[in-house]
Amino acid sequence: MIYKISYVVRGGTHPGAILDSDTLPKVDDEVTFGGALFGIVEVMELMPARGGFGFLHATCVPLDEAEDD
Amino acid sequence: MSVAGLLKDTALFSGLSDDELGAVVNLCVERSFPAGSIVIRQGDVGDEMFIIQDGHIEIVVVGAKPELRVVVLGKGQILGEMSLLDMGFRSATARSATAVTLQVIKQADFAALCEQDHGIGYVVMRNLAADLSFKLRHRNLATM
Repeated sequence: MIYKISYVVRGGTHPGAILDSDTLPKVDDEVTFGGALFGIVEVMELMPARGGFGFLHATCVPLDEAEDD
Repeated sequence: MSVAGLLKDTALFSGLSDDELGAVVNLCVERSFPAGSIVIRQGDVGDEMFIIQDGHIEIVVVGAKPELRVVVLGKGQILGEMSLLDMGFRSATARSATAVTLQVIKQADFAALCEQDHGIGYVVMRNLAADLSFKLRHRNLATM
């Protein structure tokens, strides 16, 4: 299964991201995108899975201030 | 990763057979950009869609001050797809946040393939609608 994940960042200035992952994201996981580190605080299904793809949403909070994109 | 492997791992092409994927692979042209490049410029007329093979692209809406950063897209995501559907102006600027490698499909080539093979056209158009729906849902959550 490939997970297409909508990441929304609460707090900070990062606009969020849409990224694929081959692992299911979970609350308390850490994820890096745009050169910054985020902690996942919520995961939900955004649309039903179809054709080997899962469609998820994860709410994140910044864990550091570094940002290079 | 091969282009066929990339397309197989891209939701837009989910449901296509290996032969059908091969027909799409034949339309793809690789293009690379260093970090900080403008891949799509807001307001231009678009005739290409892009699939991210490697790297990150940031979507921004210019005109607002400061510019509005909308989202960062990674491998397997598509951009420029709206002009494949409506032939309209580019609605936002796409700028490479890192060095990126893209696969590019021309609208005219894609339309010709869909005319030639309605099965491919149906599957990809359905997936394209789902991708736009996903992005709209993302945007709704991002603006809450």
